Amino acid sequence: MIFTKRQLLKNSAGLVALSALGLRAGPSRAAAGEFRMIEAGGTSGESIEKGYIVPFTEQTGTRVLRESPSGLGKLRALVESGDSSVPLLEVSSPELYQAVALDLVEPIDWDVVNPDPMFDEAKHEYGFGYQYYSTVMAWGEGERAPKDWAEFFDPEALSGKRTLPDYAAYILPMAALAAGSSIENIYPIDLDKAFESLERIKDSVSVWWQAGAQPPQLLKDKEVQYAAGWSGRVAGAPGMEFTYQQGLLDLAYFVVPKGVDPELKKAAMGLLHEMSVAKNQAVAAEVVSYTGPSPDLEKLLPQDRIGEFPTTTANKNVQMFNDGQWWFENADEVEQRWQEFKLTL
Amino acid sequence: MTQSPTASIRPGRSARAGRLGATGLGFALPVSLFLLVAFDVPVLMMFGWALTSAKGMFAPFIEFFTRPVYLKVILNTLRIAAIATVACAVLGYVLAYWLRSLSGTARLVALTLVVLPFWVSILVRSYAWIVVLGNNGVVNRGLMDLGLASEPVAFLYNDLGVVIGTTNLLLPFLVLPLYAAMIRIDGRILQAAETLGASRWTIFRRVFFPLTVPALAAGMVLVFILTLGFYVTPAILGGGRVPMVANMLDMLINRLPRWELASAISIILLILTVLLHLLYVRLSRQAGN
Repeated sequence: MIFTKRQLLKNSAGLVALSALGLRAGPSRAAAGEFRMIEAGGTSGESIEKGYIVPFTEQTGTRVLRESPSGLGKLRALVESGDSSVPLLEVSSPELYQAVALDLVEPIDWDVVNPDPMFDEAKHEYGFGYQYYSTVMAWGEGERAPKDWAEFFDPEALSGKRTLPDYAAYILPMAALAAGSSIENIYPIDLDKAFESLERIKDSVSVWWQAGAQPPQLLKDKEVQYAAGWSGRVAGAPGMEFTYQQGLLDLAYFVVPKGVDPELKKAAMGLLHEMSVAKNQAVAAEVVSYTGPSPDLEKLLPQDRIGEFPTTTANKNVQMFNDGQWWFENADEVEQRWQEFKLTL
Repeated sequence: MTQSPTASIRPGRSARAGRLGATGLGFALPVSLFLLVAFDVPVLMMFGWALTSAKGMFAPFIEFFTRPVYLKVILNTLRIAAIATVACAVLGYVLAYWLRSLSGTARLVALTLVVLPFWVSILVRSYAWIVVLGNNGVVNRGLMDLGLASEPVAFLYNDLGVVIGTTNLLLPFLVLPLYAAMIRIDGRILQAAETLGASRWTIFRRVFFPLTVPALAAGMVLVFILTLGFYVTPAILGGGRVPMVANMLDMLINRLPRWELASAISIILLILTVLLHLLYVRLSRQAGN
């Protein structure tokens, strides 16, 4: 009874007011019996459940309550309201740098995590890179495949409606590429060039999507013929085709909100360890074709669907890697120009 | 509330209880307190973010007024709200007028149909429009099969889509009060006009319509206010191409997170809404008289 009340309070904005009035709930007494995590939701959340939480709970008896979606706003709300009950929260790579700059996160306790071998970029002082995903071009079955982003962004070369992400960081690199930047020297991004590409294509863009489920649905409904969408949503989906060629590879991280209960943090490090185990990553990749950070994962993946995964050697080599640091450093200018561009639609 | 045992024998008690009941203050107290703690105080604290920004007391407000993008989004929101309000007014007036002419069971059925959409989630209704109005939707396929259109008409993912969705959701807010005002009109006034030789059009124009104007105006202000805060409909039916203030606030709060600026914009929006609400109160008083 008391527990549900607390849960309710923590989920409501009212807690901000209550904590200011000195009515803050005491430190968690649930200890390591269970903890909450905030993740991106959707099939990605299901893959966390099946791949990592199930083996973790079997070994430790600790239950994990998933909540979604995540975001910097939630992180800031947790930290500023003094909520210490969420030891893990998912962020994108630009968000990781911003969270560090805003002093909202604690270092990962890598000694306690004691991870299996991981790719270097996934072992950040403040973030555990747990899931690779790509933003790729996809098209409806029967449509002509775009050669590259240059053609994708050219409405005359390739007619048909498009859907593009309503997130600057997931489309500006491709737009710059389309305007003549090279994949090796994509950073720093030439914003003038990138926005030129967007200007050229904007009349052919039906929908600027915010939810990853939108691009495959719009392709299926024939609302659009071409999409820039997240790989796990379009790879292997019926009625559409895709390519990793010139895709934008990125890494999602788990961070530890500042001021979290140390007991819960310790327990959460155990869950992170499970996320470093190649065998578990293979189970998660079965649910949604995003991949974990283990270099040994490739041979455990289903070989008949090997083309669907973003980090196989063949796929990783044809993509560019997103640079969260650059996005963080240029966030203000990018966001400003992005909003101004959106107003001209 | 604690009372001394002697209180029950004091003669003033029942009188006081009677007064409490008469003004309703005693009954409103618990919910008022609850709202104060759970809603008003957090809102005030939220205002605090704008005023205690690290960059200076009014920095977020200065940013709001000096960077044209935010003002443009608010203006766009006002524009969409105005279009949706006019659409609601035209459709709603005709509908209410027709409802008034019905009698008995037919009226009951029609009224139920007007209220029915209230019971369906906004999200479901917004997605339903995709099925109906999409490129591959019922309407477009019908138009193309009939040869009325050679390619799909773009109903969705633009201003039109947002206006259609918004109008559909808010129509009952206008129709119900307007209908109530219409049936209150004394039929004898209309008959009097008729005996004096007025044509049906003249009766409508010079007697009936003026009597419904206050209710219509109050309903329009209500629809306008509600549209200002719409989030789900523009997000789904606007295709990310129709920037509205609630969606911009979502970005500032959840994605950036620039709470100071979001707070400043919320204050400005709240002031605007309160002014409109005062107008609404005035108009609905007139409608009541």
